[in-house]
Amino acid sequence: MMQDVAASILVSGLVLGSLYAMMATGLTLVWSTLGIFNFAHGVFMTIGAYIAWQVGVAEAWSLGPALGLAVAAAVLAGVGCLVEMTLIRPFIGRRDQVMICVITTLAAMTIIQNGVLLTWGPRLKQLPPLAAGTFDLLGVTISAHEAVIVALAPATLLALWLFLHRTRLGAAVRAVGQNPEAATLMGLNVRAVYALAFALSAALAAAAGVLLGSIRFISPELGAEPLVKALIVAIFGGLGSIVGTIGGAYVIGLFEALSTYFIGLYATPAVLFAAMIAVLMLRPTGLFGKR
Amino acid sequence: MRPAVVAPLVALAVLAALPVFVGGGYGRHLFILAFIYAVVASSWALTLGYGGIFNFAHLAFFGLGVYGCGIAVKVLELSPWLGLPIGAIAGVVAAAIVCLPVLRLKGIYVVLITFAFAQLCMHLILTQSGVTGGTQGMVSIPTLKIGDYNFARDGRLAFYFSGLALLAVSTLALLAIVRSRFGIGLVALRDNEDYAVSRGVSVARQRLIAMMASGALAGLAGAYYALYLRVASPDIFGFGLMSLVLSMVLVGGAATVYGPILAAFLLTFATEAMIELGAWRFIIVSLLMILVVRFAPGGLFSILERLAPKRWAARAAAKAGDGGVPAA
Repeated sequence: MMQDVAASILVSGLVLGSLYAMMATGLTLVWSTLGIFNFAHGVFMTIGAYIAWQVGVAEAWSLGPALGLAVAAAVLAGVGCLVEMTLIRPFIGRRDQVMICVITTLAAMTIIQNGVLLTWGPRLKQLPPLAAGTFDLLGVTISAHEAVIVALAPATLLALWLFLHRTRLGAAVRAVGQNPEAATLMGLNVRAVYALAFALSAALAAAAGVLLGSIRFISPELGAEPLVKALIVAIFGGLGSIVGTIGGAYVIGLFEALSTYFIGLYATPAVLFAAMIAVLMLRPTGLFGKR
Repeated sequence: MRPAVVAPLVALAVLAALPVFVGGGYGRHLFILAFIYAVVASSWALTLGYGGIFNFAHLAFFGLGVYGCGIAVKVLELSPWLGLPIGAIAGVVAAAIVCLPVLRLKGIYVVLITFAFAQLCMHLILTQSGVTGGTQGMVSIPTLKIGDYNFARDGRLAFYFSGLALLAVSTLALLAIVRSRFGIGLVALRDNEDYAVSRGVSVARQRLIAMMASGALAGLAGAYYALYLRVASPDIFGFGLMSLVLSMVLVGGAATVYGPILAAFLLTFATEAMIELGAWRFIIVSLLMILVVRFAPGGLFSILERLAPKRWAARAAAKAGDGGVPAA
């Protein structure tokens, strides 16, 4: 009995953690490269889910969820570039860039969310699970769909890590994040790298949105609550460290699963926010962050 | 007399005379809402624009004013008149609490922690559904009365004038604050923190007082909102209302007192006029906000000042600092 409970909490924590890792890594990537915080990240997830639905499920198209995921990621990479060029680039280097970009990305959030509402309407939609059937993990039966999430998220993030740390282009992204002036002097195209980081981050958001849209109903508000969760995760992990963010995501996922079981579904967000404020006061660089 | 004194007095006189010409009904309701939004937006400008504090908890101060008043009046059955100071106190206390972490942090961390604080307030209110009504919110909160005279009678006439009085008092308070030595110190901290500190301005004290003063006005406006609309909804803490009031602050001019007030009137009536456009009007307001930060960072009020003869503009600019949105 005890073991069953522990195992099911662990599994549910892993599923949540995987989703959070996908969501928050994009935020962190943009923060560490551009030094701005993207409040439109949540609506990137929303459009990702809707595009996957349009391509993969809607009657006219129905090309399958896998193609839907691919198209959503590709389109969102373009949207990310567009948002970076119109709402971020004009303000980079200004004394007040952090504040201005909070404002412009909040505005982008409102625009995109209402744009989604105008395009697809308020009716709820749902993506089919990525895989059918059930699966046995740690003695707990979980759906194959959850197993796919638990496997897909670390694989994607590992690919991102390999890109950043094992390729020349990835090294360029990190170099620009560490010191844009020096990177410019070395002949790197800083603007292109900024656009690339934003595109990657938006594509990750699309993937997270598709995973989310297959376990929840898709509505224009789909990304709002996950954005807030991703924000908590990014802070716990220490803004700017991708490995820290992934660690933070699994800590928060497990913490939430535990807290939901022992304290209850409604009180859990309050506990999370209180914990987040405590972390920011004691260790602004996050649980895994370093000075 | 100087135009900076005359213009607001004329505006006040026009607003006070307006009920003679415009009947009750929906138009008057919009004016009352605009008065409330104007108080919330201009008091936010004190921390966001003048103080350069990245405070995104302002709507939480407002919301706690709404709920503080609602609980005091409906659950504890206190007089609605007591609800007003209770709302203001709720705003001050919340501002003081959020200052504990805010005073130790900088830049994006202040945005995130104030934002998280607002979310925490919302979730606390949702969990205490026995008192707050949870997701349903509170309804039929008792309203303001003098003797037997209900403020909603005669086409909400008493609400119109008390709302206007609230806006006038709040505006006078804000003007007094920003023109005092305290206000000048606050702007100095925003523009050059190291230099201001070296001249003896205390960062923690100035920011704490600015936050508490703006929290008090937001909480008071919240209490008035609860007594006027007689409902309290957790949506107050959401992105929607925050975006609307933020656009009022920025479109009007974050480092001015009159700018956000003007923009509150403008946007309250403009969004109402565009009601048939549905979701488009939120898109239009957001685009306007982006255009203003991009091309007129001082807000519409700075454009008005630029159009005014030079000697007035110079005097106003000297008072308001360099205008625009503060730096990290």
